[in-house]
Amino acid sequence: MLSIQGLTKIYPGPVSALNGVDLEVPAGMFGLLGPNGAGKSTLMKILAGLLQPTTGTVTLDGMDVLRDPESLWPRLGYLPQEFGFYPHLSGEAMLDHLLVLKGVEAPGGRKALVKELLERVNLTFAAKRAVKGYSGGMRQRLGIAQAIAGDPRLIIVDEPTAGLDPEERLRFYHLLSELATDRIVLLSTHIVEDVAVLCPRFAVIRGGRLLALTTPTEARAAIDGHIFEGTVDVADLPRLRAERTVTQALLVEGRNRARVYEPAGAPPSGFTPAPVTLEDAYLVLMRLGTLPGHELQAPAGQGSGL
Amino acid sequence: MGARRLFACFGVEFLHSFRRPLFIALMFFLALTAFGLSSGKMQIGSGDSSVGGTKAWITSEFAQTQTTTYLTLLYYAFFIAASAGLTLLRDREVKVDVILHATPVTPGEYVWGRFLAVVGGFVVVMVFQAAAMAFFNHVVPNAAATEIRGPFAPANYLMPIFMIGLPFIVFYAGVSMYLGERTRSAVMVFVLPVATMILCGFWLWTWAPSWLSLGLNRALQVLDPSGYRWLNETHLKVDRGVDFYNSAHVPYDGLFWLNRFWLMAVGLGAVALTQLSVARSLRGRAKVKAQHASAATETVATAPGEAAAALRSLGMTSGVPTFLTAMLATASAESRELRRQAGLYIFIPLILMQGLVNTFTAMGAFDTPILLTSGLAAAGVANQTSLMVCLLLMFYTVESLERERASGIAPILYATPLRTAAFLAGKALANAAVAGLILATSLLACFIAVLAQRQAPFSLAPFLMVWGLLLTPTFLAWIAFVTATFAVTGNRYGAYAVSLGILILTGFKSLTGHLNWAGNWPLWNAIRWSDLGFLETDRLALVLNRVMVLGLAVFFAALAVRLFARRGPDAVRTLHGLSPRRLSASCARMLPYAIVPAAACIALVVMVNQGLDGGVARKAQKDYWAKNLKTWFDAPAPDIARLDVNVKLDPRRHGLASQGTMTLVNPLDEPLARFPVTGGLHWEHLAWTLNGQPYKPEDSQHLYVFTPPQPLAPGDSVVIGWTFDGRFPGGVTRSGEATDEFVLPSGIVLTGFSPSFIPVLGFMEKVGETEKNTTEARRYPRDYYLGVTRGGYGATAWFPARIAVTGPEGYAFNAPGVCTSNTVTGGQRTQVWETDHPVKIVNIVGGRWEKKQGEASTIYYHKGHAYNVDEMSATLDAARRWYSEWFLPYPWRELRISEFPGLANYAQGFGTNITFSESIGFLTRDTAESDAAFLVTAHETAHQWWGNILTPANGPNGDFLSEGAAHFSTMLLFEQVKGPRGRMEFAKGIENRYNNARRPDDERPMYDVDGKGRYDTSVLYDRGGWVFWMLYDFLGRDQAQAGYRDFFQKWSTGRDHPALQDFVAAMRPYAADPVAYDAFTRQWFEEKAMPQYRLSGARKSGAGSAWEVTATVTNTGTGTMPVEVAATAGERWRKVKETGATTYEQDPAYRDARTNVVLAAGESREVSVRCEFEPEQLVVDPDVRVLQLKRKLAVARL
Repeated sequence: MLSIQGLTKIYPGPVSALNGVDLEVPAGMFGLLGPNGAGKSTLMKILAGLLQPTTGTVTLDGMDVLRDPESLWPRLGYLPQEFGFYPHLSGEAMLDHLLVLKGVEAPGGRKALVKELLERVNLTFAAKRAVKGYSGGMRQRLGIAQAIAGDPRLIIVDEPTAGLDPEERLRFYHLLSELATDRIVLLSTHIVEDVAVLCPRFAVIRGGRLLALTTPTEARAAIDGHIFEGTVDVADLPRLRAERTVTQALLVEGRNRARVYEPAGAPPSGFTPAPVTLEDAYLVLMRLGTLPGHELQAPAGQGSGL
Repeated sequence: MGARRLFACFGVEFLHSFRRPLFIALMFFLALTAFGLSSGKMQIGSGDSSVGGTKAWITSEFAQTQTTTYLTLLYYAFFIAASAGLTLLRDREVKVDVILHATPVTPGEYVWGRFLAVVGGFVVVMVFQAAAMAFFNHVVPNAAATEIRGPFAPANYLMPIFMIGLPFIVFYAGVSMYLGERTRSAVMVFVLPVATMILCGFWLWTWAPSWLSLGLNRALQVLDPSGYRWLNETHLKVDRGVDFYNSAHVPYDGLFWLNRFWLMAVGLGAVALTQLSVARSLRGRAKVKAQHASAATETVATAPGEAAAALRSLGMTSGVPTFLTAMLATASAESRELRRQAGLYIFIPLILMQGLVNTFTAMGAFDTPILLTSGLAAAGVANQTSLMVCLLLMFYTVESLERERASGIAPILYATPLRTAAFLAGKALANAAVAGLILATSLLACFIAVLAQRQAPFSLAPFLMVWGLLLTPTFLAWIAFVTATFAVTGNRYGAYAVSLGILILTGFKSLTGHLNWAGNWPLWNAIRWSDLGFLETDRLALVLNRVMVLGLAVFFAALAVRLFARRGPDAVRTLHGLSPRRLSASCARMLPYAIVPAAACIALVVMVNQGLDGGVARKAQKDYWAKNLKTWFDAPAPDIARLDVNVKLDPRRHGLASQGTMTLVNPLDEPLARFPVTGGLHWEHLAWTLNGQPYKPEDSQHLYVFTPPQPLAPGDSVVIGWTFDGRFPGGVTRSGEATDEFVLPSGIVLTGFSPSFIPVLGFMEKVGETEKNTTEARRYPRDYYLGVTRGGYGATAWFPARIAVTGPEGYAFNAPGVCTSNTVTGGQRTQVWETDHPVKIVNIVGGRWEKKQGEASTIYYHKGHAYNVDEMSATLDAARRWYSEWFLPYPWRELRISEFPGLANYAQGFGTNITFSESIGFLTRDTAESDAAFLVTAHETAHQWWGNILTPANGPNGDFLSEGAAHFSTMLLFEQVKGPRGRMEFAKGIENRYNNARRPDDERPMYDVDGKGRYDTSVLYDRGGWVFWMLYDFLGRDQAQAGYRDFFQKWSTGRDHPALQDFVAAMRPYAADPVAYDAFTRQWFEEKAMPQYRLSGARKSGAGSAWEVTATVTNTGTGTMPVEVAATAGERWRKVKETGATTYEQDPAYRDARTNVVLAAGESREVSVRCEFEPEQLVVDPDVRVLQLKRKLAVARL
């Protein structure tokens, strides 16, 4: 269990990046959703032991990882949002180097393991090539390979599918799902679909505060029957936004195809009920700051939840 | 190119510059330097050094220009390279370049904007430097530097910035920016400053051998990016007088403008190339994307469903890597990155070249080339090597630590269980390999240099000793320090600023003589090598110093591990951490690491303070000087009538015990009530006797004043006796300085010049004298020599001496006279030396020697130093024979030279007992231009006559009859033994030395030269030798030799000692034309004649066997001398091999035809020379008979 209590991070300015986050993350896949600048990467860095918080505690299976990050690192797989590699090393040499530093061993030997891992992320063909010649996607896959290596208790992946094509994204989902069976996999993303596909539970964070802690099913259920879809003229959209909670509006063939959340159940004229997606729930949460039936996060340090 | 966008690119960089620690640090160092220079640490070498004379101002445009040439290369070069070279790299690292290039900003606007910002930033820094100089010189001036300050003139400070500084900045900024862009390697941007530092510091600024042609010299002036060589060769060496330097603007000539032009052109051209490179790389991105696209296509080949077996099946386990595993893995990855950096492949040849140049051009006494043994080579290049290693280690360490952040791997790598200590140690290990490579390169250079001499064998042991054992702690400490600096500052600019600052500060302290064992962490100028023994004087200090430096390495390593930020800090927590309680706790945790270096440092401070030149000794000497100067400076003293001393030596313990008596006689016409003798600071258990009875003299700060019961009547004598023991030297030097006298396992040197083994009669005016505490220059009238004049050194009268020396059986001991007894008892050898003819000063030299017996002389030498012994022995015999014939028969039976360890580089000629440091004579190397072993042997042997047999007067010009006359004797012996070419080459060599050292404003007529001027040494030796030879030439051989013999007969006995005026008067009767003689001696002795001849309009006409050469000869110097002008054809000298030795004889094919001309100062005359052969060149003074300036200008090719 990863337990986060009253985590606060204040940057000079002062800018409050995290504002008293409390979170309990059990084994399995756990999603962390939030808009850009919500504090997700700050939280990830703190959890990975790479950034000191201002206050708060984080424990992994009872072990204080903030006080003693050295004890966390042997049990951690980490894929940061932005990263690189030594440019002149080959992918194979780079991964081997990282496995040595992570103390990773396998019955077949480290060299064989490197080959296997590269195979898993489909980089065998580029194993001997210098990393500086890798594309963004290839670098991302090499990053994934090092993150899943070993026997980490906690895997933190920050925006992992950025730069991956759909096929590689699916491959990655497969790997993560496999890993999540007996360990904690923390997936930070702003791609709602990733969470919908992978995470039985997820949290939403905005402005350094936890807005919700729920499951995709519950989130969808909370607004089920209250999402309506229809089209409006471009000129009418501002009025619609003023009067209703518009979650999406896309310009299609000169008219706006809009989705609105209507808690009272009285849709605008011409709008019809639409199937609910997790993205709708997320957007409602972003617009209103809460979901029906879900409590808002209490002030810093007082916990949050459904 | 859009002005607004250009300005936008400029503005961002320009404003950002002044927030960087690099700029702030540079300005801080410059302010400190300006303060230091305001005391006059850097002056134009002109002006009258005597008290009250006109001094060169540090505020003049010349002085400021000179300062700027130094500062640009030593300070600015690295900072400009870092700033300009990294500006585009930094944009790449933070990936802002992609955004910038997606805007309408063109590569031109981007590159030129950045370049102009860097240039602008450094121009601002230079203006700040000028303001700081002006502030410290004029607003808060140094009170002790009033004589060297002129009126404030803004142009004096601003002109050097624009004439010297601006082109320099443009050149360095442009080229460094280009190197950074092209190589994308941060280390590569430092190639230019390192290369130019090697080129200028170790060669271009100082290398000006006599044979260097004018054209090549000019080319080198153009080449020097700092402008210093141009300034020095064109203006400073010429010395136009202190008034000129103080008031004139620097006249910029064509060479200067050419130099500035190529700097600007190359700098701006490099920026244009950078622009092209940036533009190309932008276009190149499309290609890269295309490649990536194809790579992506490859990936489609494997379907996700084929993702093989479950990850679980791999059986992976995680753990914590051991320290060793992690360190080696880090080192391995790091070294793979290093191998791919172009820097190493450029630095290595540069260092090889520098090593070769340094070793091949190493110079010893009288500018003679040194014969390098492995030990001398190892110690000789240790300074440059350690500087190079430290510089490159700094670059590589900083960039290595920056690599994780720059490459983006930091978050991944820092989140592994890798221990920080292992990570940093791995980095250090890889970078240490760079140091190893540099050392290997320097070793290769030394190997080539030693073997190329074809004399000394190559041995690895000294290199392992000096570079391995001694310098390794320095490199470890430096890596640890740079790492700790990076950890503290958190960025490369901060690390560079602090590390460069420490290097500059250490260099400044070293150059100004303020480093001691407690602060000399790089051991600059501290390793004094001798093949006879390894660092015997300062061994304990050296060991403690190394312990201190190793301790610092551990301390900084611990600090680096503690502060290295794998984890982003929290500002609030950091502030809390700075509370006194937490700060104290942090310091307490570091305390154990500080104990060893602090303890070693304290011990060294104490040792240095109590050492040879420490505070205790300096205070004692100062007290001696202050308390006794007025009373005893000119006090009458008795003569020594006899010396009898027994000395017991224990070289292993540096032990010395002396027991002896000195019979003193009153030579005056009046009674002598009391007299002083000077004792040594190292004397212990001292006891005195007077006429055999215990006696307690008045102790006036080691000046012991004897007051006999009754005043000594004229002619009466008294016997003083003494016993003492002690260790000698009794302490360590400040930082490896020379030690003139010592009792050490490798050798023993003791002289009567200092109270090392016997008391010195009288007060020693030089003891305790410092720059601030100096004897006021005495105003000697020109006729000071009239009456009885005391000798310049040694005793006033001749005395017999008996010296018994006892020491370990394996040693031999030499002293003046003949050895009358040599016995060994109980492992102790006792040799008794008695003078067979009186002496005026005595010495003892001891060692474990081989012996070479000549016809009438002996050489005692270290068994590994036999290289020049045959030639030295032959020269010693020849000198004894010919000097006896020319001057006075040699009065002693024996003549010997003994070698001593090179703890100081000098040779001294005591009666019968000459001592040579190993690097003089024994380790000199003959070249076509320099017959080095012959030269030094001939010179030092001449002192048996000029110095011992005939002691010159104590007063102005006396030393001409010692050093100048010894050089003159050497010229005569060259001609006698080696033929005319030998004399001519030697004469040209010392003429060139004099030309280089000469400062007319500082130079006084030879009659007035007292050795206190800054450049008097060359006047005394080189000009003196030349003028004596010209006088000899003027008088004619037979007349001159008759005059010399009479002069010696008259002045080698008696209590009066000759000055130059006595010599001139003594030789006058031998002149065929006394009027011409007077004119000659007036212009050379009373005035400062210095001819300089120039040929112009030289042309030849004719055919077959009737040719005529005409040219205008001008004397642009001073003085009037008859001089020959010769039309010549062919090479004059050809080599002749005789039993392995190379000699020269005149080539029969050489032809010349001559004419004479006499030119007064400024006078021109057309000369014509008829010849029966087709002439090839016209030469003024073909036989090198007239001392002149710039001899190379007096040759014209036809």
